[in-house]
Amino acid sequence: MSLRPFTLILIAIGAAIAPALGTAAEAPQLPAVDFDRQIAPLLVSRCLECHSGLDPDGGLSLIDAAAAAKGGESGPALEPGKTESLLWQRVEGDEMPPEHPLPPAEKALLRAWLEAGSPWGQTPLDPLAFSTEKRAGRDWWSLQPLRETPLPDTALDPWARGPIDAWVLERLGASGLAPSRPADPKILIRRLFIDLIGLPPSPEQVDAFMADPSDVAWAGLVDELLASPHYGERWGRHWLDIVRYTESEGFEYDHPRDRAWHYRDYVIRSFNNDKPYDRFMQEQLAGDVLEPVTSDGIIATSMLVCGAWDRAGNAQANATQRANTREEEMEDMISVVGQTFLGLTLNCARCHRHKFDPVPQEDYFRIKAVFDGVKHGERPITSPVEIAVREREAAARTEAIAAERTTIADLEREGARRAAQRSHNRVAFPPGPAPLIRWTFRDGAQPAGGKLHGGAEIVAGRLRLHKETQSSFESDPIPESIREKTLEAWVVLSDLDQGGGAAISIETSADRDFDALVFGERQPRKWIAGSGGFVRTHDLEAPPETSPAGQPIHMAAVYRADNSITLYRNGERYAPPYVPAAGLRTFEKGGATVLLGLRHHGAGNGFLDGEILQAALHATALDDAQVAATFRAGGFAFSKGEILACLDDAQRASHAGATARIDGLKKEAEASAATAELSYVGVRVEPPPTALLHRGSVTSPGAIMTPAGLSSITAVNADLGLTPEAPEAERRKRFAAWIADPANPLPARVIANRIWQYHFGRGLVATPSDFGLNGGRPSHPELLDSLAGELVRGGWRLKPLHRAILLSSTYRQASTHDETAAAIDADTILLWRYPPRRLEAEVVRDAMLAVSGELNPAVGGPSFRPFTTTSFNATFYHPVDRDDPQYNRRTVYRMNVNSGKEPLLDAFDCPSPSVKTPTRGETITPLQALALMNNSFVQRQADRLAGRALEAAGGELTVAIDRAYELALGRRATAEERHRAVTAAQARGLASVCWALLNSSEFLYVQ
Amino acid sequence: MSNEFLPAAAQPVAPAPLVPRRHFLSSSSGSLASIALSWLLARESSATTPGRVPAGAGSGLHFPAKAKRVVQIFCSGGVSHLETFDHKPELERLDGKSLEGMGENLGFFGQPGMLMKSVYPFAKHGESGSWVSSLLPHLASCADDLCFIHSMVAKSNNHTPATFQMNSGFTLNGFPCMGAWLSYGLGTVNEDLPAFVVLPDPRGQPAGGSINWTSGFLPANHQGVAFRTDGVDPIADLRTPAGLSPADRVADLRLLETMNSDFARLHPGDTDFAARLRSYELAARMQVSIPEATSFDDEPAAVRELYGIDDPTNKGFSRNCLMARRLLERGVRFVQLFNGGSFGSPRINWDGHENMQENHDTQAATMDRPVAALIKDLKDRGMLDDTLVVWSTEFGRSPVTQGIGATGRDHHPKAFTCFLAGAGVKGGHHHGATDDVGYGVVEDEVTIPDFHATILHLLGIDHEKLTYYHNGVNRRLTDVHGRLIRGILS
Repeated sequence: MSLRPFTLILIAIGAAIAPALGTAAEAPQLPAVDFDRQIAPLLVSRCLECHSGLDPDGGLSLIDAAAAAKGGESGPALEPGKTESLLWQRVEGDEMPPEHPLPPAEKALLRAWLEAGSPWGQTPLDPLAFSTEKRAGRDWWSLQPLRETPLPDTALDPWARGPIDAWVLERLGASGLAPSRPADPKILIRRLFIDLIGLPPSPEQVDAFMADPSDVAWAGLVDELLASPHYGERWGRHWLDIVRYTESEGFEYDHPRDRAWHYRDYVIRSFNNDKPYDRFMQEQLAGDVLEPVTSDGIIATSMLVCGAWDRAGNAQANATQRANTREEEMEDMISVVGQTFLGLTLNCARCHRHKFDPVPQEDYFRIKAVFDGVKHGERPITSPVEIAVREREAAARTEAIAAERTTIADLEREGARRAAQRSHNRVAFPPGPAPLIRWTFRDGAQPAGGKLHGGAEIVAGRLRLHKETQSSFESDPIPESIREKTLEAWVVLSDLDQGGGAAISIETSADRDFDALVFGERQPRKWIAGSGGFVRTHDLEAPPETSPAGQPIHMAAVYRADNSITLYRNGERYAPPYVPAAGLRTFEKGGATVLLGLRHHGAGNGFLDGEILQAALHATALDDAQVAATFRAGGFAFSKGEILACLDDAQRASHAGATARIDGLKKEAEASAATAELSYVGVRVEPPPTALLHRGSVTSPGAIMTPAGLSSITAVNADLGLTPEAPEAERRKRFAAWIADPANPLPARVIANRIWQYHFGRGLVATPSDFGLNGGRPSHPELLDSLAGELVRGGWRLKPLHRAILLSSTYRQASTHDETAAAIDADTILLWRYPPRRLEAEVVRDAMLAVSGELNPAVGGPSFRPFTTTSFNATFYHPVDRDDPQYNRRTVYRMNVNSGKEPLLDAFDCPSPSVKTPTRGETITPLQALALMNNSFVQRQADRLAGRALEAAGGELTVAIDRAYELALGRRATAEERHRAVTAAQARGLASVCWALLNSSEFLYVQ
Repeated sequence: MSNEFLPAAAQPVAPAPLVPRRHFLSSSSGSLASIALSWLLARESSATTPGRVPAGAGSGLHFPAKAKRVVQIFCSGGVSHLETFDHKPELERLDGKSLEGMGENLGFFGQPGMLMKSVYPFAKHGESGSWVSSLLPHLASCADDLCFIHSMVAKSNNHTPATFQMNSGFTLNGFPCMGAWLSYGLGTVNEDLPAFVVLPDPRGQPAGGSINWTSGFLPANHQGVAFRTDGVDPIADLRTPAGLSPADRVADLRLLETMNSDFARLHPGDTDFAARLRSYELAARMQVSIPEATSFDDEPAAVRELYGIDDPTNKGFSRNCLMARRLLERGVRFVQLFNGGSFGSPRINWDGHENMQENHDTQAATMDRPVAALIKDLKDRGMLDDTLVVWSTEFGRSPVTQGIGATGRDHHPKAFTCFLAGAGVKGGHHHGATDDVGYGVVEDEVTIPDFHATILHLLGIDHEKLTYYHNGVNRRLTDVHGRLIRGILS
């Protein structure tokens, strides 16, 4: 009777309709009609699917008398005293319900009601109140409170060690099945190790358990493994599957997320510490706002955003399409929350009421309102206390750097003065063409015609710009309108590997369009004519910048009326002219400014690190000769080297000392920033009120929705006491409390089922992220509720649940196949044996490393990257196999990117990280065999296993073969196997035998 | 019994030749001997009729299949319908005029410009008198075989979501691609080769790389296998490690077979173990069949010439087209050819923001002749009768320039042209139409789900019945949409 809740519902509905139908069929006179008992269920199950809700079909709602009388597009459905109403005509003519006309008996019932004057009972009718064949209602099994059922008599059977065994045995007995014998200890210990920590036991561990396979030893082993740090690595990986954890952004660019791994460590840590599951849930929903705020809490909320993200879609110009991108993002977030914690596909209610489950569209948008302030991106993950400490340290460093810079600046001023004195005999070139404006800089004075910003300063007659202080110069608005133009600047780059900063830019104030001389933005070490949206930008066929850092360079960009653009470097053409797609921009008088050191306002990476010696804006397009002249006239021939050469030794030493100290301080700052300051936890905004979108369309906004929980879980109040304008933090905090309310039956059922699933390969509910109508029904409903109830009573700790499962007789059965039992239950749903299963991709790889002795057990931290990357706007990943300890860490620490498929893992069904994967696939393919046969990683582990075995055996081949068997399979070779292996090893080396062991079914499966 | 706890929808719902894929290698055989036998039989049937589906393979389909296999050419970047197949004389008259009153600018960069006539002249071609621009002379010579759909619309104006939609029906990461659905739905004809092969452009992978040929939530064996076409091994781990002699490898495999046979014999009811044995046989055969299928050594000079194998202007794309034909011939169910790589500068795809002529000239030089050659070659071999050729892109380009005075066009999802050719579709046919300037569809709009539904139909599949349960939904390639484009069926 596993279908009990569902069956009862069907019976209830059947009972409501059937007696009346019977009467109608047999008796000539019409039955007395009871609206609540007979007509309401009929309307709900036959009509309200379409004719209710916000946007009913044909505009007709049938939820109450008034709505039916008002009717829809075709007129009133019911009219007082009129039996032959429109409703009846449509039903009688089999037009309605479409494709599924009412059976005669139901028609008769409806007719009787109409003839009785269509009296309504309790209204409005709730289309989601009852489950029908086609949809789950509020009475759906998984939404009901957890039930405690007294244990069945099988609890007294000696086989039953506890409630789990009692329920399993009862179901087996009812189907004429019996449990299998206990598994062999060596099979059992390998099963336990793979299952709990994802690594095989060592031969010594196997021997010890073989020597004492008692219940006490077993329980001890279970506790030992639950306490192992590898437990979190194994079970954390399961969780990461469910929440679609990915370390690259997917979509067009698929850029790596270098700082996403903190969440992976958080998950592993939480499992290892047996963090109460209610807390674990709340942290992932709202940890950044739950007092006291901790780093862990902030990191936990990565869960909301750790999936794929459409960077291009968010950046594009078309507002409607951008809004669509955001809606897709929200659906991803809402679906991960719904599926992970509630086992409900809330996302299916985005465009209309959920087709199968009792989730009205309003609920989708209420929950969307909860998360509307969560956006993708990186954010500091330090707690407020830590932030204060860091800020103090950073301020001290900034002060120290400023002091050192003053020292340097004074020395360089002196050097420049001396250099100028010495150079009085230089050839003076005639002045170049006069610009509209020229900016020069004099020490000790505010620059004329504009203002310094950020940490910009004037040293030795130069504008000095520091990227980290966001320094720039902005001119006054330009005094006349400019169409043709030349931008010109003498610039010193302090670092040739910087990118994105501009020497000079002209920018409109209104729409922030700009033309600029930009360094290293799209291609390393190259200059481009930057522009708003790159519309006037081309990548240029030009050599990378070769002038050493510190050497002044003269750059000019000429924009001609024919729309061509030419860049010049040191008076010569930098690349051939080109004509961009977009036309020449006019910069209006008073409506534009010139920026030095900044590409455009709002460009995070737009700051230049270096110096501007002089800059000019010409209102004409200079020709080649004029550009050459202006270069020669600049006369800025002093390189930093020349300036320093004019100082004495002591001054130079002092200059070098100050420079070195600044470098040290900068490194400190970098190191401090690198210690986990940022992570991909998403950013937060206070969102505008959330509107329901009709049919999910961003162009059809409806009513404003209040953040709330799910209305169909009646045991917990879905009203969170919020207003549509409630603060973002408060929304998630209260929603998290609603999820974790012990009266909310779904989270406990869902997680208990998941734990069961990973132990047995299949959940008591076979669809672990879907407990709705489309999902599976529990095979052992009383057991599921008993596990869930025990979990909540035990303070939501998962380790006791593991323990209960692992100590059961059910878990400790043999996995041997049985023809008779399989004929009754081929998929082992009732657990007449322990179902054997293949190792997951990560376990295959980890187990190979473990048996070869190469596993690097380092825990946590940045992911290892078994690939190289290339970049062409998008990032491309190219898997590589390297023989290096850092790559021999457990696979959970591998950087899990979207498009860089690793052949071995891929062949073993490692899922795409952006897909929410509650159950892993298990395919057997020729590509998998090819990977096992030829992959260099597998070859190498086979070699190392051979070496390890031979060393342990002191070079004795037969002993080594036994050792290799013990390491790989947890048992010694049989005489026949040993004989074959010796022959093979003598002919082709022990590595051949080890390769076969790593390829063997026995190695790749748990029994 | 075993099905009682599964949602009804999780039961196998794919067309009948399918067995739960986990057991696909051992579906019909209990003993090892019979596996070997069925393997030999399968080999016979595929050897005697190369490239043909064994008789009866279509028996479980929803309709009689017109097409047995598909080759899809996907032109990354967004090919301009106005510069290729959608002739708009009125646009010449309106050249330089404003779009006002005809629609809003839907471009990605939001820089409105003025209407611009096609940068190429159009002429009528073939008996059908189909308009094709001077950009594509080789495809123009195939016009009577092509079935144009001028009324395509896409959901997104953004490359990757639009590409995902053309490939998988959804604008998001992680949904199975059409090739994966077909592998799942139809299985394979030749087990020595993958059912779904992808040939990325030799100039670079499309943006998103392997996300474009993922099996999503379908079992992993249905994902596209991307062949490298640059002369090294087509797939990873195909080659026996250097330093291992063939004789030694055979001996190793024999040792492994003994181990795995012993194990399978100890677990007689668990078919996985027998399937694993078979997988090694197939792997060994793939080591032979893949190099054979991807080598051009036996291709006559005339064929090489037809494709332009030695012509450097197609940047290696002709090799992919010829390889596609060889793979189709050998029973690969779905070959996807990417023409164009990802987005950046210099442009290596059809994304002509800056200058339509410069961009489309360059891209067409890679695509036109090889694709035309593929169609002709298939036709010469009689394969076009049961092979469906799909030529597609992610969206069209705007009738206005991107910015005033500019010569490029921005993205435009409201109208574009794709064509089908071969099995079950009319040749020289034109379906649907756009308005005078090619901005919007005015006749017989075709959405991407419609397009997919029709392709599935031609393969004998009812798109509403090819489903897979994932996280609460019986997923389909066509989501909850898709209408058959009846007008194009022959």
